[in-house]
Amino acid sequence: MTSVSAQYYDGNNTRRHAVTLTFAQGWLQVRGEEISRDESLNTASISEKLGSAPRLIHFNDGAHCEISDHASLETLLTEAGHQPLSLVSRMESHWRVALASLLLLLAGAVAAYLWGLPRVAELAAQRIPYSTAHQIDEQALQTFDHGLMQPSKLPITRQQQLQQEFEKLRRGYSLPEYPLQFRASPEIGANAFALPGGTIVITDEIILLAKSDEEILAVLAHELGHVSERHALRNLLQGSIVALALTWYVGDISNLLATAPTLLLQARYTRNFERSADAFAAHMLQAKGMDAAKLATLLDRLETSHRGKNRKGSKLDEWLELLSSHPATEERVKNIRQIKPE
Amino acid sequence: MHTEGLNIRFTGKGGEYFRIWIVNLLLTVLTLGIYSAWAKVRRMQYFHRNTWLNESNFDYHGTPIAILKGRLIAIGMFAAYNVMINFKPLIGLAILLVIAIVMPFLLVKSFRFRLYNTSYRGLRFGFTGSFKGAYLNFLLLPVASLFTLYLLAPFTHRQIKAYQHNNSRFGQTAFSFDAGAGQFYLIYFLTFLWFLLAGALLGVGAYFIFNHAIVEAAQENNRQMFMYIGIGVYLLFIIAMLLLVPYFTSRIQNLVWNNTRLGMHEFESNLGAMKLFWISISNFLLIIFTLGLFKPFADVRMARYRLQSIRMMPAGDMDTFLAASKQDDGAMGSETAEMFDIDIAL
Ligand SMILES: [Zn+2]
Repeated sequence: MTSVSAQYYDGNNTRRHAVTLTFAQGWLQVRGEEISRDESLNTASISEKLGSAPRLIHFNDGAHCEISDHASLETLLTEAGHQPLSLVSRMESHWRVALASLLLLLAGAVAAYLWGLPRVAELAAQRIPYSTAHQIDEQALQTFDHGLMQPSKLPITRQQQLQQEFEKLRRGYSLPEYPLQFRASPEIGANAFALPGGTIVITDEIILLAKSDEEILAVLAHELGHVSERHALRNLLQGSIVALALTWYVGDISNLLATAPTLLLQARYTRNFERSADAFAAHMLQAKGMDAAKLATLLDRLETSHRGKNRKGSKLDEWLELLSSHPATEERVKNIRQIKPE
Repeated sequence: MHTEGLNIRFTGKGGEYFRIWIVNLLLTVLTLGIYSAWAKVRRMQYFHRNTWLNESNFDYHGTPIAILKGRLIAIGMFAAYNVMINFKPLIGLAILLVIAIVMPFLLVKSFRFRLYNTSYRGLRFGFTGSFKGAYLNFLLLPVASLFTLYLLAPFTHRQIKAYQHNNSRFGQTAFSFDAGAGQFYLIYFLTFLWFLLAGALLGVGAYFIFNHAIVEAAQENNRQMFMYIGIGVYLLFIIAMLLLVPYFTSRIQNLVWNNTRLGMHEFESNLGAMKLFWISISNFLLIIFTLGLFKPFADVRMARYRLQSIRMMPAGDMDTFLAASKQDDGAMGSETAEMFDIDIAL
């Protein structure tokens, strides 16, 4: 018969009594110099084991015992026909279980990031109307206009002409009807991009780089592909969810830093987004009787012009370039050229 | 009689707590967050039961359901505010106002919950602060301090600590608090001086480090370069905050505990700013580099240092504290039915 040494407190004052616990004739017997009580283990509440912290047995009248001798207590509980350790306590006491939990959590996090997150963002994006997301565009444009971009230097007539061709291209598709935004931006260079709410911004630089209007329309068709599939909004949602998760995970003072990594994580569209925007553009251009290969031609030229620019870029730029999930232009050009008319 | 005082001991171990933490994190994820209330009880129990004073440990009695209730209330308020402020800003602001108005009420409930669910040698702690006092100290004074450009902030801080400690009890025995507002003003003033000094040093440092880069950036009108400089200054600012926060925290903890009594028994706290700084910065870096896995070790390390820097200076027998009578018990917050805990740290 096991006896366990314990500290006893009666719940009325802070006096400590040294006692021994034994289990006999169906009762937990608490015996000390001034203490003698028999308790049923079924009505007493036995705390779960938490590491090597003392365990407590509380009795109904507010008295309790503190036990630090874990091995003896477990033996006593087994003798009394009680499960000495709860399932969670047993899990917590093994390094193997801890390691398995860690691996499961990591696998879960990776799976959530790779599959769960894009799916959730897609579903959420479908439920946000263009008009709601359009507020983001207006704010973004305001920010851009405070330095990163300047008003377009193209003649008004040229802008109006492109605007009309853009509207013709878009006609017949259920796409938001925001006007094309012309901007000059030596910093961004030749580029066109879709904002989360469906606004498309095009730089003077890419218009000047293009050899024909068809090439410009090809790029715009590609951007309409991003708009149609809400790629920018989905990226934004994904980034926000990651930022939120990181803030929660890192917590406390370090949440100041938590937003920085998301800038890197959501730097560019994924290859999938680019590929599907290309496919959308190819079909749109074919439907309007235009040449889809023009998109490939301009992409080729963009690639060459970017390479020339990057050569004088800083080391940091190159490093950032490595981190970004920039799709390989060559592969995209090949894919576009393969898209056959239906 | 004891003359050296009784040190608080903390016996939690990083590796042991890591296992508890990771298993409970997994269970929390698997139950979509619901288990987090059970995990919190386990965490609180682990830390309380490993805290020792005079060879006896503390205990925590909060129930997961009460914690779950409090979390639902908090999440509900947070979500209502965040959704509304984006779509109907006026309603969002109204919700914020309602939150501000009910906050002192919730705080009192939460203090009662936390203290009543803490025990030592079988006696419960308790909180007897009035709602009136809570509205004065958690709503009126902070608003007044806002309108006086925070000149009232140290006074408010003192009043809040006085309200909390003067209304706390261990069994029948009341805590008392007698630090003056002047001592709080001194700590705030010194922290502010350190802030100015750190700011000046940072400014000079940033000037020397980034001078070349700023000139270059200005010449080339290089936005990206400006952005990197911005990030650099931001990091320096965080380092300064990492220095100042431990200084402030340690001075306040020492002031508060050196002026708190339990009946006739006194306390002594000698938390060192440098030691606290070292622990917080190394914890911070290790948490970042281990992608958060160091968190449980960091928690144990911080709890050990903060708890072990407090001593109790008994003025008499430690065995004679009495439990509150049944009548007082109700006032102290044992009305379990309506209890819930709100995770607000003050
Ligand atoms: Zn694209």
